[in-house]
Amino acid sequence: MPKKPDLLIILDILALILILTALVVIFVFTPIEAIMGSVQKVFYFHVSSAWAGMVCFILGAVGGTGYLLTRRIRWDWLSSAAIEVGLIFSIIAILSGMIWARPIWNTWWVWDPRLTTTAIMTLIYGAYFILRTGLNTSEARARLGAVYAILAVLTVPLTFFSIRLFRTIHPVVIATGSETGSAFSMSPRMLTALLLSLLTFTILLTVLVWHRYRLAQLQSEINPEAA
Amino acid sequence: MKALHNYLHVLWQVVRKDIQVEWRGRQGLPVMLVFALMIVFLFNFALQLSPELQAGLTSGLLWVSLAFASTLGLNRSISLERESSALDGLLMAPVARSAIFFGKALGNFGFTTLVGLLLLPLFSLFYGQNLLKPSLVLVMLLGLGAYTSLGTLLSSLSIQSRTRDILLPVLLYPLALPILIAAVEASRGVLSGQALGDQRSWLYLLLAGLLLFNAAGLLFFETILEE
Repeated sequence: MPKKPDLLIILDILALILILTALVVIFVFTPIEAIMGSVQKVFYFHVSSAWAGMVCFILGAVGGTGYLLTRRIRWDWLSSAAIEVGLIFSIIAILSGMIWARPIWNTWWVWDPRLTTTAIMTLIYGAYFILRTGLNTSEARARLGAVYAILAVLTVPLTFFSIRLFRTIHPVVIATGSETGSAFSMSPRMLTALLLSLLTFTILLTVLVWHRYRLAQLQSEINPEAA
Repeated sequence: MKALHNYLHVLWQVVRKDIQVEWRGRQGLPVMLVFALMIVFLFNFALQLSPELQAGLTSGLLWVSLAFASTLGLNRSISLERESSALDGLLMAPVARSAIFFGKALGNFGFTTLVGLLLLPLFSLFYGQNLLKPSLVLVMLLGLGAYTSLGTLLSSLSIQSRTRDILLPVLLYPLALPILIAAVEASRGVLSGQALGDQRSWLYLLLAGLLLFNAAGLLFFETILEE
């Protein structure tokens, strides 16, 4: 087994420090939101999880493209690792959103297009693993997984567009033009906390994907067909 | 020019073969049609539809029954090729793989559209609402075109898995969601008497799906079926 790279060790520690710092910043330094109260604090990790999930899924398609172009199995390790981690992040985004929605919207779940779409995206990537388990060789898993990962990312803009056409009650955090009315205004400290959380989760996803990648590498060393 | 002619010839031969198989066996279309109607009746009882409710739900019911019924057709179309290794024979032919894809997709589109066109007068009859509108037929052609090309591509993926025919819906429905949303919304608009021009955004979305999924077929079909 290859030695754990120094950079990964550094990133491990960095991720831990950043998570603790972000938690302190969120709970100590940011003001309590005037209308929503302290439940608004879930927002920082909620947005960051959604962001991390998105990055992972794009990374999954990048890995898929890499595999189809080069046919080297390490690209598939990257692709499947990223999608696995991304799936967890998007589930966290949904669950943390529900915690927020319960007091604010007075319900755990609304059939709002954005929520529904995130749920559907989770199903899409859940199906990715159902597809993989049904395939017999690691080559087929890599090849068909790559095609599916690319196809899945390609439909995301379509889904996003269909959301925009629907009316949505989800708060728009990054507002453009006419939508400014529905955005809630963040104080500078809130913005700092959000940016810190985004950075934290970006490092965290890198660390997790890297570890998962190494696990796939190890699996293929022990049993090339099982990975 | 000659190359294009050959390409279209191959494409047409694949379609012709599928029509011939259907004509001699008559096992696909009737099943799809009966299944679609069954779903309509099931919904009617399950949701206890009153006449007022029905009017608003017609387009949704139409598309749900079409989406489900077309899955049967898609599965059958590809498993016919698997039986007695007909697919291997097809793939061994010295022709462009993408021509085989477009042939299969066109066949699936044709059969599903035929079911859709047969459903229109039946829906008009059951729901006392005129569905025989050229604009609705246009929405149907666009929507089913996008849906069946994605379905054809995914059925060539799912057929290689051990779980085969039960896998297709799991892969297809979440990815096809934007198409179904757009098709349902455009049909609802058309049925409530709005002009086709008012549905422009939905129609563009359907067109985008149609182009995207056919481009994906052109790019990936060969990769999916390589041995």
